[in-house]
Amino acid sequence: VEEDNMECNSVVDGNVEEVPSKKVIKFNPPLYKQRYQFVKNLVEQHQPKKVADLGCGDVCLLAILKYQKCIEELVGVDINEGRLKWNGSRLSPCVGDHLDPRELDLAITLYHGSVLEKDCRLLGFDLAACIELIEHFDSEDLAKFPEVVFGYMSPAMIVISTPNSEFNSLFPCAVFRDSDHKFEWSRMQFQTWALDVASRYNYSVEFTGVGEPPTGAEDVGYCTQIGVFRKKAEAAEMAVLEHHGEHVYEVVYTTSYPSLQQINYRRRVVIYLVYREVSRLRRKYQVSLRQDELEAEFIASGNQTGKFTSDLPVPVLTDDDKAMEMAPQPFCIEDKFYVPLQRIIAYPRLGHLCGNVEKLREFLGDMIELNCDGSAVKVDLNDCSDF
Amino acid sequence: MPTLLLWGRERHHHLFTLCGVPGPLPFRSIRFRTAMTGRARVHARGRRRDTPPSEPAQPEAVRGRPMPPVPRTDPPLSFADLVRRGTAAAQQPRQIQPRLQSLTGVRHVAEAGPPAGAEATSRPSGSSLHGILQARMLEQLPFPSPGNLPDPRIEPGSPALAEELQQASGSQGSLLRKRRDVGRDFQDFVVNTRQNLVHVRESTKGTEGSPVMLLSNHVRLKSHSQRHLYKYNVIYTPDIEDGSKREALLSELEKLLGNRCIYDGNSLLLPHSLGETKKEVVSKLKNEPVKITFELSRELQTTSPDCLRYYNILFRRMLQKMDLDQIGRNYYNKNKKTEFNEYRLEIWPGYVTSILPYETGLTLCADVSHKLLRMETAYDLISHTREKARGEDAKEKILRKLVGSSVLTKYNNRTYRVDDIIWEMSPSSTFTKSDGSEISFVDYYKERYGTVVTTLNQPLLITKGKWKKSRQDTPHQPIMLVPELCHLTGLTDDMRKDSRMMGDLSTHTRMDPDRRQHKLLTFMDSLRKNNAVQKELRDWNLELEEGFLSLSGRTLQDVRIRQGRRVFDNHKADWSRNTREVPLLRAVSLDHWLIVYTKGNYETALTLQQNLQRVTPRMGITVRNAKLLEAADTVQSYIRTLEKHASQKTQMVLCLLPTDNKEIYDGIKRYLCINYPIPSQCVLKRTLDRPKTPVTIATKIALQMNCKLGGALWKVDIGLQNAMFIGIDCFHDIERRRKSVAGFVASIDPDLTRWFSECIIQQSGQELVKGLTTCLYTALKLWCEQNSSPPHSVIVYRDGVGDGQLQALIDQEVKQMETYLENAYRGQKVRLTFIVVKKRINTRFFIEKDGGRLNNPSPGTVIDLKVTRTEWYDFFIVSQSVREGTGTVTPTHYNVIHDTLYLSPDAVQGLTYRLCHMYYNFSGIIRVPAPCHYAHKLAYLVGQSLHQQPHGSLSKSLFYL
Repeated sequence: VEEDNMECNSVVDGNVEEVPSKKVIKFNPPLYKQRYQFVKNLVEQHQPKKVADLGCGDVCLLAILKYQKCIEELVGVDINEGRLKWNGSRLSPCVGDHLDPRELDLAITLYHGSVLEKDCRLLGFDLAACIELIEHFDSEDLAKFPEVVFGYMSPAMIVISTPNSEFNSLFPCAVFRDSDHKFEWSRMQFQTWALDVASRYNYSVEFTGVGEPPTGAEDVGYCTQIGVFRKKAEAAEMAVLEHHGEHVYEVVYTTSYPSLQQINYRRRVVIYLVYREVSRLRRKYQVSLRQDELEAEFIASGNQTGKFTSDLPVPVLTDDDKAMEMAPQPFCIEDKFYVPLQRIIAYPRLGHLCGNVEKLREFLGDMIELNCDGSAVKVDLNDCSDF
Repeated sequence: MPTLLLWGRERHHHLFTLCGVPGPLPFRSIRFRTAMTGRARVHARGRRRDTPPSEPAQPEAVRGRPMPPVPRTDPPLSFADLVRRGTAAAQQPRQIQPRLQSLTGVRHVAEAGPPAGAEATSRPSGSSLHGILQARMLEQLPFPSPGNLPDPRIEPGSPALAEELQQASGSQGSLLRKRRDVGRDFQDFVVNTRQNLVHVRESTKGTEGSPVMLLSNHVRLKSHSQRHLYKYNVIYTPDIEDGSKREALLSELEKLLGNRCIYDGNSLLLPHSLGETKKEVVSKLKNEPVKITFELSRELQTTSPDCLRYYNILFRRMLQKMDLDQIGRNYYNKNKKTEFNEYRLEIWPGYVTSILPYETGLTLCADVSHKLLRMETAYDLISHTREKARGEDAKEKILRKLVGSSVLTKYNNRTYRVDDIIWEMSPSSTFTKSDGSEISFVDYYKERYGTVVTTLNQPLLITKGKWKKSRQDTPHQPIMLVPELCHLTGLTDDMRKDSRMMGDLSTHTRMDPDRRQHKLLTFMDSLRKNNAVQKELRDWNLELEEGFLSLSGRTLQDVRIRQGRRVFDNHKADWSRNTREVPLLRAVSLDHWLIVYTKGNYETALTLQQNLQRVTPRMGITVRNAKLLEAADTVQSYIRTLEKHASQKTQMVLCLLPTDNKEIYDGIKRYLCINYPIPSQCVLKRTLDRPKTPVTIATKIALQMNCKLGGALWKVDIGLQNAMFIGIDCFHDIERRRKSVAGFVASIDPDLTRWFSECIIQQSGQELVKGLTTCLYTALKLWCEQNSSPPHSVIVYRDGVGDGQLQALIDQEVKQMETYLENAYRGQKVRLTFIVVKKRINTRFFIEKDGGRLNNPSPGTVIDLKVTRTEWYDFFIVSQSVREGTGTVTPTHYNVIHDTLYLSPDAVQGLTYRLCHMYYNFSGIIRVPAPCHYAHKLAYLVGQSLHQQPHGSLSKSLFYL
């Protein structure tokens, strides 16, 4: 249920019994989620590395975006320091992130500060999101806003969302959707402003929105209108990264994620995968030995027809498995079991992580025993340290 | 600085709202064992989205008392049931498979919340390894007993660890659908058991023994302020279920609340008043208006026990500021982790902390803890078990390995206990999201967390969410997990068997007193140096005193052991050498007995018999030749052999087992304890193969068999005439959710050499025992048969109950016994002393040796001041002995909750310590009084192997050793 009330925010001691709960229009999913989803889709589509959420509030959007694999730097800026402090820990890596690190580095920083101030740490971003931000500016601030965000920060892409006042006619009372809103624009007003800003700072802009109007009222447009600004090519070239400059914002929270870019994490994952692969192959080998024995017994006992079979579902061969068929086979000498590094590297994930056999050998270091010429992993055939 | 203090935790929910539950869920009101954890409070708030938001608040409960349980209707169907049976069968609840039935089983224990974190989890002390090995050497169970003795080397294993994890975090993500206790006034209360004990009203301190200065792991938390704190209940209208949203709403109210407040999910502690007793505020959550009502609950002193919950939340917050990560209940330091690449696991060091009020005031108790994390996922386990297993037993094997273990989901920071596996489902199966849309697991994880599930051919794990053995249950919906995304945690039994790995791990986790104290000092130091932490403390006028609390203890006199005519001291807490040199107190000769061995082990069996015959004469036992029988290594074959050869005359059956196989062990034990009751002794061949020790081992086996036959090894002067000692302990099969077993053991002679035992099999998870009267009746009858008159008093040692259950214990068990004893003998009242024994505690004591090195206090050290509580008649005894440099001893906590015998502190302490010398399966001092450990062994055998009442004819022997 969204956008259906005109109540003021945090009215202390307001007449609470009168809180309107009339549900005029319901959005499913809720509108705020649709807005976040919009940004998330944009990220998935354009794969930005550095993303800033200006006016990040309770960091909900950042918490969604932190799962995006392409992002390496995530920044939130808000003037409400308390909320940032309160919610910062929601962004910290959890134990799973240590055990199964992500591919790329990720640093998240929350700044306490105003979007209307210039801070050089906000330069060079690929995407800046200003979700439901501009309507909180008075005219003076609104005038400053383009200069800072478009002119100074100048990210490759900017997404700005704001209420569409035309939609308000569908709500019971004709006031702003939030008491702190300084204005709510019609589509015309927003687009005029946006086109002007875009042309001033050499951006292109496309308009869209979230929150479909109900049938019969399609002409009011989306409940939330969105402008997606993209820096024009020539402007992008001109952009000079001036990383020297003032640090105005105060860092409230900062964290960085373990990743496969960090050598210790990469090594650990490689070793884990090698162990996993080697013990899998060894088990397969052991089972096949046993199967042979059993079959031999069957035959010996005169049971020619019955072939010993397991009634468990046979794992389906994937393309990867088929590729592995081509790789050098593991072998067994006495009670030692060997898996050629060539085979290990043929396993796609390990191939990706190591690149080549030399690198793989380096990763394995003295953690895993190799045969004398260093071409295969060597383990005891009968050691059963599978927990 | 922060506006509101919250307990911190990742809150990236992945709540599957699972549909298909017919009708509204029945629920019961619950009294939570929250105390230190605001976390629990958050579960407490149910997430019943199907409840109308305008649902009226529950009537204000009687303050500090558990709410009477709301009668419930039929157990609801779980989602799993529906899944298993198909939706068509939804109307037939009787078809639920037994396992799942137990998942949704009804439990009836009403319970009060314990005081803050009092019942903390046990830490591995890494101590007394040799003792345990000795104790366990003979009966090599395939599954190590999570017994009274601490696990020798590492982090508590699956049951204990799982429990801990569960306790801590099991349910955060789970779909617990409990009724919200809107605006209820939670009060942590400690049952004041001392007020009824007139004889210790003045003092609970003893005087005997030689004083010794000790150092504890407590730090005094001082408060300088005389100002009051204000506790407000926070009520949301409409009701908000999501804990983080509740908090987020408060974060907007900085103007009103100021920047200092502690919120536990339901109520708020403020250093200032809001001016009115009831304050209402309207705020907005994602544009929805929410009325928040603050109701003044009470004004509190800064040192009031009611503040403890908030202080514990505050402290968790501070730990988070120190860059520690919360895993389960405790906080761990990722920066100091140790990686064991070879075993694909890592160990994170961390701390267990709790703030509690003691006689000296508030103290912070801190202990070192380790968390074992594994790279392997549940899918790895499933796939390799599947590959290794032949044929149809694969599923059973996987179930056995996985069910009951704790997993950590990689996408959020949650731990869950696996309750079952749904083979019929896969990651491509769908579930219904909270907004009503259907989505497959694969898509959900892709969409929500960007996580790709690579294997579609895997079953799903099902977790019922929080399950706490001592907690009454509420129905809640199960959660399904994708094995590939679940990391395994903790040690499995297979891992424990790998001595090389355990050795490697224990060098990291085992800590002698010096190292432990050093770690703790470093921790306290970093607390003191951390500005953010200091500011928090200052904000609340709290201060952590420098240095650990020192206190004086007393070391009791050594206990004299009497074996026949010989008397010796408990030199170094181990008298095994003395035992075998002298005739036993009561030797039973072995005339008719069987040795069953398997193919190829005839020699071993013969050698064992010869060795037994060699060592027994000195002990006064005559061992005739046994009938040696060969059997195949299957349960059927053993039973067939026994059926053929065992007779009425057979005194003992010794089985020489070639492998450590639980099924076979269970099968033999079941047959010989239930169907054809003969005391039995299982010996692992491996144990006998160890070189150099055949004589020692034969001695141990001989002693153990003698006990099982009704013999007696030694005695001590208990110092109390004509008293019957009773031990009660419960075994909960948390993994399999089988029925719980309560073991009841009572001495039936004044020397404590004969014991009567009985089992009570009750509802899964039920801790408090019903039907004690029958046990007591039989025990007293046997006593009277042995002795001419009834006992003067009955002294009960009760293990396995948390502090939160004290009131229930008094109301149920104590009352049952007291009522019975009052009427049992006309004109002669049998007096009753009831002592609660607690092994899993975080309090440690150290003794400072010359040169400042810390050491373990010697066995017999009693502590009954400063870290004991004013409301209780309680004390600690260190009764463990640890070789130097191997670990830290864990003291045992005793709490006398009922005493019509009027035992003085000295008497009860001495008595208790002496009883720790009376466990016949170990020639040394153990951590708990013998009756407790006997009860434990009994409950464990019945719970793990027999699952049925043992045959009555065994009830007078120690067959369960």
